[in-house]
Amino acid sequence: MPPVKWLMHWHPSPGATINSQILSEACGCAESLGGSKDGKWKTSIFFYRAMTRDGSGGPAGQQHPDLPRELLGVALHERPGLYFSIVRAQRLVLQADAAFPQVMEKLQSYRIRVALNFEGFQYQLGDFCLRIGKCVPNNSEALRGIMMEVEYYPLSSIEKSKAVMEDFFDIWQETIGKKSLPGQFIHVDSNFSDYGLSDQYSFQHTAVQYATCLQQLMAAVTVRA
Amino acid sequence: MECVVQGIIETQHVEALEVLLQGLSGVPKERVRVHELCLKSGPNLGVVPSEVRLLCDLAQPTPSWTIRHVGGAMRGAGAEQISVLVRTIVESKASKNVLHYFYTLGYKLDHELLKIGFAFRFHRGAQITVTVTSTNKMPRLHATDEAVPVTPGIQLVEITAPAAADNYNDVVSAVSAFCEYLAPLLHLSKPGHSTGIVATAGAAAASLMSSGGGKTL
Repeated sequence: MPPVKWLMHWHPSPGATINSQILSEACGCAESLGGSKDGKWKTSIFFYRAMTRDGSGGPAGQQHPDLPRELLGVALHERPGLYFSIVRAQRLVLQADAAFPQVMEKLQSYRIRVALNFEGFQYQLGDFCLRIGKCVPNNSEALRGIMMEVEYYPLSSIEKSKAVMEDFFDIWQETIGKKSLPGQFIHVDSNFSDYGLSDQYSFQHTAVQYATCLQQLMAAVTVRA
Repeated sequence: MECVVQGIIETQHVEALEVLLQGLSGVPKERVRVHELCLKSGPNLGVVPSEVRLLCDLAQPTPSWTIRHVGGAMRGAGAEQISVLVRTIVESKASKNVLHYFYTLGYKLDHELLKIGFAFRFHRGAQITVTVTSTNKMPRLHATDEAVPVTPGIQLVEITAPAAADNYNDVVSAVSAFCEYLAPLLHLSKPGHSTGIVATAGAAAASLMSSGGGKTL
């Protein structure tokens, strides 16, 4: 069973923008806490859209209310052999293997419209692993967001690990708070039980957290725009 | 890609076929119990209508699911001349909510079947799988325990082997060569081109059962 993990995203202060300096300051904080950099990581998320025979170019949901507006594909860095598909409106997460995108390609019913990468550096910090990264569209360097993963190796129970994760989060907030950056990291709870996921952490939990994180990043972009 | 041929055999000769396959492969047979659900895209979904199969392996202690897309057969003069069908296959394992997932995506259940039988998997010029199954239908939705045979007395034999663009000729040869061994009991041909049962099957089966099987008829 994989260890428990929290995803957090950078929420800029009103009027502030996201820039790469925030990313380097966050990495600096990981190092100042004693973290040792030990590699890179990349998770990819794909937005699929329904293809319809009447050729409607707009969001499918507007003309075909029975079809999901949005379908997400998630390829996690720690499990390249797996692929996850999420229908957020229906609180549904499917676990498949790496051949799943090929099945979708053959079916020609949903197609990838946008791909986003979450990538950055990884730090080992005692029983914790920190991954701090940026969210950028595929084939582009345009910064869409900053986020981090915090993994706690000894535990797989979400409930049992809650206190230690909160403690870590407090220390992290205090450390990064000293930098006086225009914003803060926020952890948004994903409603795992709505997806039928249990207290025992799994890769499906991570996929759902990425979907939640993405929603938050998109909302922040919309507010700024 | 995969290479595939199919044939049919009367149930009374299946035991003889099993003896023959056991002798040829030298591996133990595996039990097959697969619930197959064929889904089709709902109206308007997809650039073209599409079809996907969800296979639930009920032979395992914990049922496992596979998504399977069967692509079109290879075409052209070369493909016409060979006796084996070469087609694209894409498969992915999936979690148990896969049926609900495809319903949510706008797919509808077209039909469902339960295939019961056995399989031999072995290497003989290629990685060959021979499955011998009876096809069953359900009187009620998903009621696999109440399944009844679609064609009583007749079972389906399918030989498949994975292939790639650069080796399918070799795989076709290996599958064709293996089919020769089974010729006394059944005709194997491309799916959709059934050539019926073999007239000599009874005599061949009797011979196999008396010599190879060590049993008297």
